[in-house]
Amino acid sequence: MNRAGRWIAALCTAAGLLCVPALFSLDYYLHIFVMAGIHAMLAISLGLIIGFTGQVSLCHAAFYGIGAYGSALASLTLGLPFWLAMWAGGLSAGVLSYTLGRLVLRLRGHFLAITTAFFGVLVTVVLNNWVSVTKGPMGIPGIPRPGLPVFLGSWTTFESRVSYYYLVVAFVAGIAYLAYRIVGSRLGRALIAIRENEELAQSLGIETMRYKVFAFTLGGGLAGVAGAFYAHYILFISPVTFTIGESINILVMVVFGGMTTLAGPIIGAAILTILPELLRMAGALRLVIYGLTLMAFIVWMPQGIVGAVRELTTRTRTGKPGG
Amino acid sequence: MIAVFFQQALNGIILGSLYMLVALGLFLIFGILEVTNFAHGEFYMLGAFATLFVMTGLGAPFLPAVVLAMLCMAAFGIVVERVVFRPIVGKPLINGMLLSFGLSTFLTNAALLLFTADPRKIESEFAQVHLRFLGLHVTLERLLALAVGTALVGFLAHFIQHTKTGKAMRAVAQDRIAAQMAGIPVFRIYAVTFAIGSMLASAAGSMVGAIFLVSPDMGWTVVLKAFIVVILGGMGNIRGIVCASLCVGLVESLGGGFVSYAYKDAYPFLLLVLAFLLRPEGLVGGRKA
Repeated sequence: MNRAGRWIAALCTAAGLLCVPALFSLDYYLHIFVMAGIHAMLAISLGLIIGFTGQVSLCHAAFYGIGAYGSALASLTLGLPFWLAMWAGGLSAGVLSYTLGRLVLRLRGHFLAITTAFFGVLVTVVLNNWVSVTKGPMGIPGIPRPGLPVFLGSWTTFESRVSYYYLVVAFVAGIAYLAYRIVGSRLGRALIAIRENEELAQSLGIETMRYKVFAFTLGGGLAGVAGAFYAHYILFISPVTFTIGESINILVMVVFGGMTTLAGPIIGAAILTILPELLRMAGALRLVIYGLTLMAFIVWMPQGIVGAVRELTTRTRTGKPGG
Repeated sequence: MIAVFFQQALNGIILGSLYMLVALGLFLIFGILEVTNFAHGEFYMLGAFATLFVMTGLGAPFLPAVVLAMLCMAAFGIVVERVVFRPIVGKPLINGMLLSFGLSTFLTNAALLLFTADPRKIESEFAQVHLRFLGLHVTLERLLALAVGTALVGFLAHFIQHTKTGKAMRAVAQDRIAAQMAGIPVFRIYAVTFAIGSMLASAAGSMVGAIFLVSPDMGWTVVLKAFIVVILGGMGNIRGIVCASLCVGLVESLGGGFVSYAYKDAYPFLLLVLAFLLRPEGLVGGRKA
């Protein structure tokens, strides 16, 4: 796609996204779209770690949770408005992911995956048991909504789902743009080099550990921002949202969409948030079907949706049967 | 205080021997197929249910029921390897990981539908026998778990070291292509690996079902701890797995008894962090099987 084509595609997507509330006015639909947006933020940030840097992390929900708790506690105990509390959430998740990254990123592959998975369990255990701060399994209710600064310091808050919808679109766009700029830069090329061949990257003078820690910290911090958004949208948080099951869920979204692309995680998040809602009518069979679908997908379409579409278009363009 | 310490230590060793059985299966599957099987905990859960149903359905005594369940699970493991895992051998690690997550979700929820969520207990005839010695208190059932664990790891070590199939397994773990060129039927070795792994998990599940409870969601916490054991064991050999599982069991039991019970699931992670700080290069350095 050339430059003009890209702009047209971006503008069409933006126009389409802005029209959504007019087509789906029910609060239920809008809620699903807002959740899809939150998942998209998580998937993009995990995509930076896993898709572009090639480091498998299974604790993304832990950073999501730390962001949510950090932001909720900052706004409840310190009285900060959302726009500042959000930074508290993102920073606390970022600091923790930096610490964890420094400790575990020298591990590779399966070892890294399992260690991060266990870190996720650790965070859940702490959230459940550090009752004096997190209120344990009871969760934290009564988190304030984000406010918009209007003239003379009077605050209007986000009351309707539509306003949250536009806010989440803005957030996803911002994070996606950040990821886009990173991936296209020298920094992004260094990350991709690490994914493709870490030893070779190091021999070319790329300080692999620093770049890996950078990707891990940024991904964790952005997950924290998504957590802050979640906390101030649902207005109640408890440890059950941030378990390892959610980490796996986010990972599946990234891989399902196509992890080495930028659009992949967003598409994966949208589909895998909407599809389970359609499966609700299957009742108790829902997760059985989900497990089977996931297995079938990994066996037959391991490169993800975006990857499969790309493969298909190159195959038709070149007229060759693709590999 | 001393008596409590030794009591907790004994419980820790018994717990560790159960983790060991699950971890050995994971270790074999990881070493030979290079797949992280997150569904291994579900094999353990299904093994426990198989023992339960053999005992309630056929009225069999506990030990024969455990053996029968192990045989059923060996067959199940072979089928799972053929149908689920074989298509992705040699693919990137994340594929195997997500595949096993899918399998785990499927098996847990299918079990939830078929067996319901009520926790059940395997009523073994050893539960009522209490032993006391040196001020320690233990049921025969727990000692049996320890004995079964020791016996199985002994068998496994002998099998891997001295039989032809065991040698072939080690060859495949070292280099799959070279093993294939030497005429080793690699796919048959995969099947054997899964069969052994499922049998060990099934034995562990049955023991846990007799000591604690059986429920469809029992697999998930165990599989993570078993993975920690595999990492701490250094992927080197069976001896490493045995030592690491005893460490994890002891730390969990002593920490739960003396520090804080609520945080007991977090202690193995601290052990892992400690290991990183002390031996930053050693954990990944060792080669497998």
